[in-house]
Amino acid sequence: MTSATVQRLIPRRSAGARYRHSLWLLTSRDLRVRYSTSALGYLWSILDPLAMSAIYWFVFTQVFGRGVGHEPYIVFLLTALLPWTWFNGAVSDSTRAFLKDAKLVRSTAIPRSIWVGRIVLSKGIEFLLSLPVLALFAIAAGAEVSWQLVYFVPAILLQAGLTMGLGLIIAPLVVFFRDLERAVKLVLRFAFYASPVIYGLGDLPGDFRTLGAFNPLAGIFSLYRAGFFPQELDWTAVGISTALTVVILALGAVVFRRCERAVLKEI
Amino acid sequence: MSAVTSERTETAESVIAVSGVGIRFRRNKRGRRTFKDLFAGSKRRSRPNEFWALRDVSFEVRRGEAIGVVGRNGQGKSTLLKLVAGVVLPDEGRVAVTEGVAPLIEITGGFVDDLTVRDNVYLTAGLHGMTRAEIAARFDDMIDFAEIGDFVDTPYKHLSSGMKVRIAFSVVSSLEEPILLVDEVLAVGDKAFKEKCYARIEQLLAAGRTLFFVSHNERDLKRFCERGLYLDRGQLVLDGPITEVLDRYNRDHGTKA
Repeated sequence: MTSATVQRLIPRRSAGARYRHSLWLLTSRDLRVRYSTSALGYLWSILDPLAMSAIYWFVFTQVFGRGVGHEPYIVFLLTALLPWTWFNGAVSDSTRAFLKDAKLVRSTAIPRSIWVGRIVLSKGIEFLLSLPVLALFAIAAGAEVSWQLVYFVPAILLQAGLTMGLGLIIAPLVVFFRDLERAVKLVLRFAFYASPVIYGLGDLPGDFRTLGAFNPLAGIFSLYRAGFFPQELDWTAVGISTALTVVILALGAVVFRRCERAVLKEI
Repeated sequence: MSAVTSERTETAESVIAVSGVGIRFRRNKRGRRTFKDLFAGSKRRSRPNEFWALRDVSFEVRRGEAIGVVGRNGQGKSTLLKLVAGVVLPDEGRVAVTEGVAPLIEITGGFVDDLTVRDNVYLTAGLHGMTRAEIAARFDDMIDFAEIGDFVDTPYKHLSSGMKVRIAFSVVSSLEEPILLVDEVLAVGDKAFKEKCYARIEQLLAAGRTLFFVSHNERDLKRFCERGLYLDRGQLVLDGPITEVLDRYNRDHGTKA
């Protein structure tokens, strides 16, 4: 032992700094585990949305005539598919936020919301790392870029908030209701087609369009697309998304706090 | 607590204060849960299937004290330790811990199979609040103590179970936290290493650490602790000098003639 006294060599960090420090440790652990255990590593996080884009591009431009979205369709697809991959991955992983690391949760007293936050963050980082692919396709397809590309920033913030809120609701509830894990997967598959990924909000007919705007992802995806397809930007949808995100985040905080005690006993 | 300047002078300052603490668990883990159960206010809940693992437990621990927790299996010893560690939360009362805690509870829990020993040490020590610089300064000591110098860059899963426990103990006991919580983790590992762990604990105690120790082993309890807490059926039955507590425990349960 090097130290002979109780005093710390370095003063204790503030609670906020410790939170960020723990969050970052777990996030980077997630990424490192993923990349060190598979040969293709980083490529996997791109291959999935890329394969999906290829399929939809083929089906909707080669098999059927394209009646939705805009040219270049592959860029149109990717601007929503890459964020969708983040959303989908984070929400479905949050079902196992406590279960996967039960031993670690049982032995460390870090703030419990980190177990959800680290999933949102690590998937978000994978999303950011996949953006060069979008850039590549945009250049190759000769897409026009406008200043509205800056809307990526609020889109990312909104999506992070929305995903975090949903994770805070799902993660603790799955501990008590294991069926929820499968239910979430099913709802996600449904949500993919119910969200403007392969089409745009404007492609929906009449009533569905109003209904579709109440999907919090609709406004977020319209922000992502604004840089390449300014006509996709729908401020009503963005407003609804923002309001819903705030509500879901607040609900998540309440549910999480209510369940925390019971979760710690259960795992 | 803002008394940073006079840290060593007031040796009698309370660092763990447990007041009126109660925690209940479900008897049957597989039992049904309803949404109403989760969200209804804690007063109105009907809970026929629950029992109090601890109730009305109050005590204080002063800096530098060494406390042994005594009781039969299932009387709430480990739960009490977890409450102090902050990894479970009480349903009633308050647990106030004013200094950092190094919990030797489920010590291998933070280690990830696929990462190397080096990565794991940085991760676990980091999660317990050490900075990278602190870990780097202490890294060699930790590895030496665990006697696994040749395996620093081996994935954790390839270590033997003995090595796993050794490195985990080494990391957690190297945390520079003033309060040390020890559950019976030390029952694992060979005799020589166990003795080494005990020597480390004694060293930490001599350096002024506060110890909170759960064990069934009378010899170990007498070796480290001066004060004992005797838990029975979720109640704190006796809080006094360790020899008295052990005498009472033996009388109640007739483990020793």
